[in-house]
Amino acid sequence: MFDVLPDRVPWYVVGPGLGLLIVGLFFVANQPLGASGAYVQTSGLLRRRTDIAVWRVWYFVGMFAGGLVVTQVLREGSEVRSGYDAMRGVWPLWVVLPLIFGGATMLGFGAGRAGGCTSGHGLCGTAQRSPASVAVTATFMAVAIATTFVLRIATGGDL
Amino acid sequence: MKLNLVGLLFGALFGGLLAGAQLHEYDTIHAMLRLDEPDVFLIMASAIGVSAPLLYVLERRRARSVFGGDVRLSRSRPERHHWQGGALFGLGWAIAGTCPAPALVMVSSGAMLGLVAIPGIFLGLYLNERSAGTADHVGDGEHRELEPA
Repeated sequence: MFDVLPDRVPWYVVGPGLGLLIVGLFFVANQPLGASGAYVQTSGLLRRRTDIAVWRVWYFVGMFAGGLVVTQVLREGSEVRSGYDAMRGVWPLWVVLPLIFGGATMLGFGAGRAGGCTSGHGLCGTAQRSPASVAVTATFMAVAIATTFVLRIATGGDL
Repeated sequence: MKLNLVGLLFGALFGGLLAGAQLHEYDTIHAMLRLDEPDVFLIMASAIGVSAPLLYVLERRRARSVFGGDVRLSRSRPERHHWQGGALFGLGWAIAGTCPAPALVMVSSGAMLGLVAIPGIFLGLYLNERSAGTADHVGDGEHRELEPA
């Protein structure tokens, strides 16, 4: 419909935009922003728990819908990428699928245990100057970079 | 009701910005973690650079939020579960090349492998809940509390 966005919106637009969202959510509702909390509450809803924060389920829906608007409407005509091209160049699909699922399970478990993910701790918690969030962010960054290099060496530089 | 609308709106803007920067693409995350491209680091740094001083001012002035009472930031000290959770998160993040919000956007972009990642994230959160006996470590990040007072 409206193909108005470049293939990649530059960091100096997206970064400050995310920062303003964090401030905005505190200013409007006094709530910290984060994605894994939305998963926790959505999971609670699916299991019919009654003590959930329903607005975080709407946040979950919103993330999907916002992605839909940008990728399907505002950037119409851009190719649908399968994702994981680099990975699929190294391993067949029957290896890639369990890797994605297993990795996702690990990061889900870790986000629950740490009490937040890249958004909740990495952005929002760090912006609140929470020492725990800084610790979590430094840890997952260091481990992720180290893991990437180990994978790279293990695949002979292909990944 | 109002809060639900706020949730939908902020979620949509958040997901839209991630999609704008292609943060839902494995290639983008992978290029950052391989230290080939600084973009994602710059996004995170500038997001914190914009929000941290503004939150500081809101807190100092004891600002009142529109309908959530006084703005209250939360800070906690690092405990064992933070280090453990952070390490496990980093490991999974590097392997799967995605995290909770980008996995959703991956599906809305039409990349169906996101449908493999999302159930995995739900499973991991559920397993943590089972092992910890609680859904949350309340007091950290966005898992602070349920509804506002």
